[in-house]
Amino acid sequence: MNENVMIICRCEEVTYHELVSTATKYKCSARELKLRTRAGMGYCGGRTCRTMVEKIAQSMGTNTPTETNISLKVQPPIRPVSFENLGRISK
Amino acid sequence: MFKAIIIGSGPAGLTAAITCAENGLDVLVIDEYMSAGGRLLGQLYEQPDGSWWNGLRESKNLYTTAISLGVKFHFNTSVNNIEKRNNRWVVYTEKGTFYTENLLLATGAAESPVPVPGWTLPGVMSVGAAQVMTNVHRVKPGKRGVIIGVNVLSSVIAMELHLAGVEIACLTLPKMNSIANKEGNPSQVLDSLLHVSHMATSPLIRYGSKLLKNDFIKNLGIHFYPKKGFKMWNTPIQLRKAVIEIYGKDEVEGVVVAAIKANGEVVPGSEERIQADFVCIAGGLYPLVELAALAGCPFFLVEELGGHVPLHSEKMETPLEGLFVAGNITGIEGAKVAAAQGRTAGLAMAIHSGIKGLDTEIRHSMDMVKQTRESADIQFHPEIEVGRKRILREWEISQTSKQNHEALMG
Repeated sequence: MNENVMIICRCEEVTYHELVSTATKYKCSARELKLRTRAGMGYCGGRTCRTMVEKIAQSMGTNTPTETNISLKVQPPIRPVSFENLGRISK
Repeated sequence: MFKAIIIGSGPAGLTAAITCAENGLDVLVIDEYMSAGGRLLGQLYEQPDGSWWNGLRESKNLYTTAISLGVKFHFNTSVNNIEKRNNRWVVYTEKGTFYTENLLLATGAAESPVPVPGWTLPGVMSVGAAQVMTNVHRVKPGKRGVIIGVNVLSSVIAMELHLAGVEIACLTLPKMNSIANKEGNPSQVLDSLLHVSHMATSPLIRYGSKLLKNDFIKNLGIHFYPKKGFKMWNTPIQLRKAVIEIYGKDEVEGVVVAAIKANGEVVPGSEERIQADFVCIAGGLYPLVELAALAGCPFFLVEELGGHVPLHSEKMETPLEGLFVAGNITGIEGAKVAAAQGRTAGLAMAIHSGIKGLDTEIRHSMDMVKQTRESADIQFHPEIEVGRKRILREWEISQTSKQNHEALMG
């Protein structure tokens, strides 16, 4: 198996090649890389690939992580919630 | 409504829960896992004094103590959001919503992934998963494995797998790419191992540190590093080889390794196959800070602590009133340091909820954190002390500017 076709974001099936070529082409931040490729936007909310997406953006020199900020925002729910529980009317 | 809620039942969370309960607070502990202990559960190693550190037993003791003090537990429960409303912290879970004025985030750490072609095949797991399977569930992850990533965590777990009778074909590096940059560079890997020389639990580290004290020798060391690696508990450690692919039709059947130069470049034509039925990926640990981020806590990137950590004081307070942190969320260290921090956090929470007369105790507890750190068996970053000082300095700066601001507003 070739390095280029290896999957980085499992939920959205985004490959290493897609991420690296997008980062190279647009010289983008981790956030832009996420929005362009959908890496980190799937079911798990980026729990698996978040650090890898950040590292790819960093390796292009386009995403120097700011000292005081996490480059990819964390949003609730941070764990998958079933539709049953999401829609339940609280007692 | 609870006087205190603690998210995470590892060494930090459990010790904090016990401390809160001892001081009369009613406490709820929430954890995603099915039982108490967190990463402590999987730990099993021989300490420098010859005694064994058995994480399963330690976890059970802490849990039993907490239960006897009336601490409530919700296991198999993930927290999916927290927020502050009407001066109370609101904790959202699938089992219901909970409220408190004293919330402790003791969520620990997560493992950094290192992608290798074929890493999505069944049979590939993080090294921490192999540890949990082996030491907690007593299930062998396979008959013969390869560990990708040579670091403190993976060398300790390799030893534990060896003790459990699982053969490890070798510990080796991942092929360098845009993600595995440091992890795939032999010089950098050796460098990070050398600094933890006092870590008596790993002959790997003793080997390195004795031979290779300065940069010149180290450079020689990596160039003359034995092509066959060296052995630790009969397990070859290869710093001059890297896994370029994990292969298998429907599951792991083995890995392809290649020789690499001192800078991590692959030597063409040097590929060979190693059969294995499981593969562990060891990319190291980073603080699991999602909840602190949702709460709006300020962060600082401190490499020595393993990544972005929430701003906190030596009393384990964050700048957000009623929000505390303890354990690996504040930086990657061993379980004993985490527990010591948990005690400090528990006392700080008791003080915040109005309990008087704990000033001497919390000062003593803060000293204990330092002492525990100095005598730790396991150190994940050589410059941990630098990282800790950095955060404390940032805390002082933030407090001073807050006071100035308040004085200005009169």
